[in-house]
Amino acid sequence: MIHCQNVWYSYDGINPVLQEINLKIMDGDFVGIMGENGAGKTTLVKLFNGLLKPAKGEIFINQKNIKTLSVAELSRIIGFVFQNSDHQIFSRTVAEEIGFILKNFKYDPSEIQVRIEEILKQFNLEQYKEQSPFLLSGGERKRVALASILCAHPEILILDEPTIGQDAIEKKKLIELLRELNRNGVTIIIITHDLEFTAEYIPRCILMSKGELIADGPTKYILTSEQCLKEASLVEPQLAHLSHILKFDKSLLSIEEMKTKILEYIGGAR
Amino acid sequence: MKDSVIHNLDPRTKLYFAVIITIISLCFNEIIPLTIIFLFLVPLFKIGKIFTQWLNTLKGLVFLAVFIIIIDTLFISFNLGVAMSIRLLVLISSFSLFFLTVHPDDFSQSLIQIKVPFSFAFALSLAIRFVPTLAQEAQNVREAQMVRGLELQKGNIIKKVRNFIPIIIPLIILSIQRALLIAESLESRGFGAVKQRTYLYPLKMKFKDFFIIGILTFFLVSIIILLLTGLLPDWLHFHLPF
Repeated sequence: MIHCQNVWYSYDGINPVLQEINLKIMDGDFVGIMGENGAGKTTLVKLFNGLLKPAKGEIFINQKNIKTLSVAELSRIIGFVFQNSDHQIFSRTVAEEIGFILKNFKYDPSEIQVRIEEILKQFNLEQYKEQSPFLLSGGERKRVALASILCAHPEILILDEPTIGQDAIEKKKLIELLRELNRNGVTIIIITHDLEFTAEYIPRCILMSKGELIADGPTKYILTSEQCLKEASLVEPQLAHLSHILKFDKSLLSIEEMKTKILEYIGGAR
Repeated sequence: MKDSVIHNLDPRTKLYFAVIITIISLCFNEIIPLTIIFLFLVPLFKIGKIFTQWLNTLKGLVFLAVFIIIIDTLFISFNLGVAMSIRLLVLISSFSLFFLTVHPDDFSQSLIQIKVPFSFAFALSLAIRFVPTLAQEAQNVREAQMVRGLELQKGNIIKKVRNFIPIIIPLIILSIQRALLIAESLESRGFGAVKQRTYLYPLKMKFKDFFIIGILTFFLVSIIILLLTGLLPDWLHFHLPF
């Protein structure tokens, strides 16, 4: 569980980037954090994994205050996948890249090999095992980056803009993977600007604006609230917009809901 | 860029200043003349409103200065060690004055106007311009590896050096990628299309620039003459007793 109590943060010690953040993310939650550029989304998640320490307030991870934990200790609990996978790739082979975190955590070499094989299979990266990760495509490098975090089986997984540069098929594969992880108890936190992705797949949404939390709740209510969207400088998702145009009694977010509604109408018209 | 008397000088004047101060500081191995040169530089940073940035630069030199004093003390003398440390501070300060008060574009323009080939001048100013970007990238890479359990401060000296490999390699790769992207971007906007290009903001030296260049040249020539004729006062040659 992640628990933020009245958290403030400032980079220069004068202008707050985060103000009065009070937030609880329970085990097994699947959360999307959205907001305009500069809202403080990345700063917030960097506080979770100890890269930054709060100027005021407290953050507890599994009831332990993060001020007492180092980044290395927190990285055993929280896996963080950065937006640019090229910030982390440095090894000679994909297998070495994936095993890097396990070596840092001093896993047994035989255990490391087993986990590498497992994760290569899970991510369809087996054919690239001995290849240089620098020779892979952008999408493949992103998969390697994600695999290199997941092989350590973190309890909480944070992804910063995971859908950028990904085609529709890769996005679908990503969400299937994340849903499976979430079903297995992993808490998933995604920072994203991808409104359609959040509306379709992420059950809980946190909106931020100018360093403050402005909304936190089920996505179907948050992303259909005109006031919330306006404050967060977001436009409504396409399906919600279509619901308005077609004068449905409520805004719909998922394709399944829209399909059901349209079929209802067509059936009624017949 | 800030607005001050120093900022408003032509970049070529400031470059000339840095070179002259370098030459003058190389003419002396004694503590007092080098200290005088250093103290002469201090108010310039105040006038240029860059005193804090200059102090931050000097902070980074403390370790090197102490190292120089120790090595020189062990092999030659403490006196020389102190003198060489002060000379280091003078050299770094004189060029800091240049780099802290000259915009990278003006730097490139000033080199071009003293007939340095355009591509060389441009590459140099581009490299300077990307120093803060590289610093930010290094921080991003460091964070990306720390969240994978990398502990940079742990272990003996060899382990600590090896721990930098996961930082250095992505940084080099990213720098090369950026260089290629910038090259493609420049070429697609006509870079190098014609030999004789025009400039949007050519630099023009003013009377104050010529005046300062004149004063600096006079000082340099005077000091050289005084050194060659041995007419410098004895107290300038003061040595510490050890």
